[in-house]
Amino acid sequence: MASFTRRSALALGISMPALATLAACGASSSGATADGAPVGGGTLTYLEPQTWTTLYPPSAGFYPNGGIVNNITDRLLHQNPETLELEPWIATALPEVNDDATEYTFTLREDVTYSDGTPLDAQNVVKNFDLFGAGDAARALTVSEAINNYDRGEVLDPVTVRFHFTAPAPGFAQAVSTLNSGLLSSATLDRDGQQFGPGNAAEIIGSGPFVIAEEQIGTQLSLTAREDYAWAPASLQHSGRAHLDGIDILVAAEDSVRVGTVTSGQAHLARQIEAPDEPQFAAEGLSLHAAATNGVNNGLNFRFRDPALEDPRIRQALIAAIDRQAIVDTLFTENYPLATGALAATALGHVDTSEHYVHDPELAASLLEEAGWVAGADGIRAKDGQPLTLTFNEALPQPRSKEVVTLLQEQLDELGIDVQLLPGDQAAQNAARAEPGTVQVYHSMVGRADFDVLKSQYASDNRNVLLNTEPDESTGDPELDELLGAIASTPGKEGRAEASATAQAHLAEQAYILPLFEEPQVFGHTAALQGFATESVGRPSFYDAWLEG
Amino acid sequence: MHYLLRRIGGAALVLSLAFIVAYVMLTALPGDAVMARYGNPDLGLSAAELAQIRTAYGADRPALLQFLDTVASFLRGDLGYSVQTGAAVSTLLAAALPSTLALALLGLLVAVTVAVVIAVAATHGGLRHLGATRALRSTLRGLPSLMVSLPVFWIGIVLLQVFSFRLGLVPVLNASPLQSLILPVLTLAIPIAAPLAQVLIRSIDEVSAEPFVAVTRARGASTRWLLTRSVARNATLPALTMAGLLFGELVGGAVVTETVFGRMGVGLVTAQAVAARDTPVLMAVVVLSAVVFVVINLVVDLLYPVLDPRLRSTTAAPARREAVAA
Repeated sequence: MASFTRRSALALGISMPALATLAACGASSSGATADGAPVGGGTLTYLEPQTWTTLYPPSAGFYPNGGIVNNITDRLLHQNPETLELEPWIATALPEVNDDATEYTFTLREDVTYSDGTPLDAQNVVKNFDLFGAGDAARALTVSEAINNYDRGEVLDPVTVRFHFTAPAPGFAQAVSTLNSGLLSSATLDRDGQQFGPGNAAEIIGSGPFVIAEEQIGTQLSLTAREDYAWAPASLQHSGRAHLDGIDILVAAEDSVRVGTVTSGQAHLARQIEAPDEPQFAAEGLSLHAAATNGVNNGLNFRFRDPALEDPRIRQALIAAIDRQAIVDTLFTENYPLATGALAATALGHVDTSEHYVHDPELAASLLEEAGWVAGADGIRAKDGQPLTLTFNEALPQPRSKEVVTLLQEQLDELGIDVQLLPGDQAAQNAARAEPGTVQVYHSMVGRADFDVLKSQYASDNRNVLLNTEPDESTGDPELDELLGAIASTPGKEGRAEASATAQAHLAEQAYILPLFEEPQVFGHTAALQGFATESVGRPSFYDAWLEG
Repeated sequence: MHYLLRRIGGAALVLSLAFIVAYVMLTALPGDAVMARYGNPDLGLSAAELAQIRTAYGADRPALLQFLDTVASFLRGDLGYSVQTGAAVSTLLAAALPSTLALALLGLLVAVTVAVVIAVAATHGGLRHLGATRALRSTLRGLPSLMVSLPVFWIGIVLLQVFSFRLGLVPVLNASPLQSLILPVLTLAIPIAAPLAQVLIRSIDEVSAEPFVAVTRARGASTRWLLTRSVARNATLPALTMAGLLFGELVGGAVVTETVFGRMGVGLVTAQAVAARDTPVLMAVVVLSAVVFVVINLVVDLLYPVLDPRLRSTTAAPARREAVAA
């Protein structure tokens, strides 16, 4: 909370009283300002840069999907976006977990129904997780990344469920709170991948505070409040139905159109306000909301199995050569704080490892000399006739990735390191991502508010961004996998925090990564919108939101 | 009749070539639609899970087999499903076509009107003889070159900024169907009007220099009579050819216009499909565009004899088209 307020305040350059107001209505705290109680009614207009692609919850990590799923579904547990603590929601209490975290038992509320009138009961909950935990490739429905080692669900009685795991799964309690575990009616769960796509939105039935009323493929989705909604998490500002009558989610791909539509008062809220557009929201009657994403920071991952980066001195030289502060200052704003480690400062298990990431061009040069890379005739360093050329990917979903790499190109060129940007669209980037020898430095981030996020990003059997297993499927650094595995299999919060700290220290000491900045989700809105909040990874939550006047 | 059959044969050839070339090019690029959606690191799928999904989509089969399969289903009239969203391509296109059609037709209409107005004003005999309006005339003649060099997206953004965000004349959201068309139609019309006006101006100049114009004028015809009866008919032919070719511009313009204005339409569907390498959608768009392109050019060809009696001899018609257009 503290860091959130600081960032927003800095971004806006606002004064103390305004800061106090912001503190009062930031994150998910308050729906009401000092001078008035929330007003019911009204339809919020919300602009998205991209259209949604599917409402299947395990695929809802994509922000346009998540913004919808988060508001039409409930989850067993609620993760408080400020404290990141888990709280009861559809489950009446935190689950009972056995000692090795292979069995979770949840007791459910009895009064919850889906918007089609069917009950949210034990049988339905098991049906949800049997699909999300195992996936169904035949229906093109994927397994949820957040759920590991899932075996099966069991109905103990109509309000009690138990989940069994083949190996310890300490991350499961947090996993059920993410929107990837949004609960759906039994009929909805029978749909196939195509039937979760555009053209079917109104038939996707959840139990959340909003219901999908109308869909115009590719451009608009209208949500309406559910009148009989009465099971919001207790830590939210109010209970009962949502304040808003409805939400119109519209697609406006062009940055300037989103900005202009909100600043001219034609819409209330827009997601993805790019850093250069932020100053426009400093005007009277406009605000920015920079939501922390609480996961692995936006940063560079050095693929240490690649011949060019095998020598740790090269990786250390890259770290010393890159001026992170210049990147943040040139391309971003105060809403993008300089990273202090692999994880965001607000993320669970964060450890400050910034002493490993000091900018020192002279050290970089001497490390390169020491490693045998000497400047050639064209200014590019070479060793045994091989020029020091590194290819960076373009992280298309991340803000200004191309500009970041271009700036890195300039910085590293001064030290005789040739930087190339891998061209191509998302499909080409995806194809090159796991291709050994194609990309030496991988630019990426991942938002998820659990200890597991570190394993998700770096473990060989997950995203494997360091390509620890390439080119020959042997594991280059088995210790890394072991340390990451411990995060996802050690029961108990303290144990996991310790495992996470050890893994972060290993990443820093081996010079595997260079975290750049903490990546926020930046929303711009008019002053009429009050009580706007985001969940723990920055998707909008409209339950407490209301429109003034 | 024979001519028509030959034209239809040619159209079929153009269509199949467009289909094959588009398919080969999409396949040759690294990655495919399944990779674009499921290979995304955000889903965190393991290699084995990815392989299962690829099997479910049939993306692991040999390229030739996939191609034949696509051809067969297109011939059956089955356009398949979007890989990115799972929506039926026919649903997507059915939702998109009407608004694109309205946008394109109105855009073309406005473009033709603007082009004719500019061309007539710039070449009008009445203006030609007044020294005082020389500056105006050269401005008018320069206008198409300026318009043709403006990027469509820039026009769209400027129109939005000025008329919607600053002046508040036209709302972007919750606009009536008519309001929501004004700015997009203008955006689309400006770059199309430009080359039309250029061609019209040039051919009016050329036709005006023909001996028959001088003869008609010598016999006492007024400027207006000359323009409407003699010059216009002859000068329209190149412009008509141009209008047929401008369809390509219209498609490109629709992609940009619909993206900038967030308007549902074939252009927006195309832009989204390109970003996701969504082959089934892209193939359907290619076929649809090729069909419309072929049909429009056929209609243009059939219109020549109607406008120009010299082309009414049936056997010579197709050969003489190029001569006139050149």
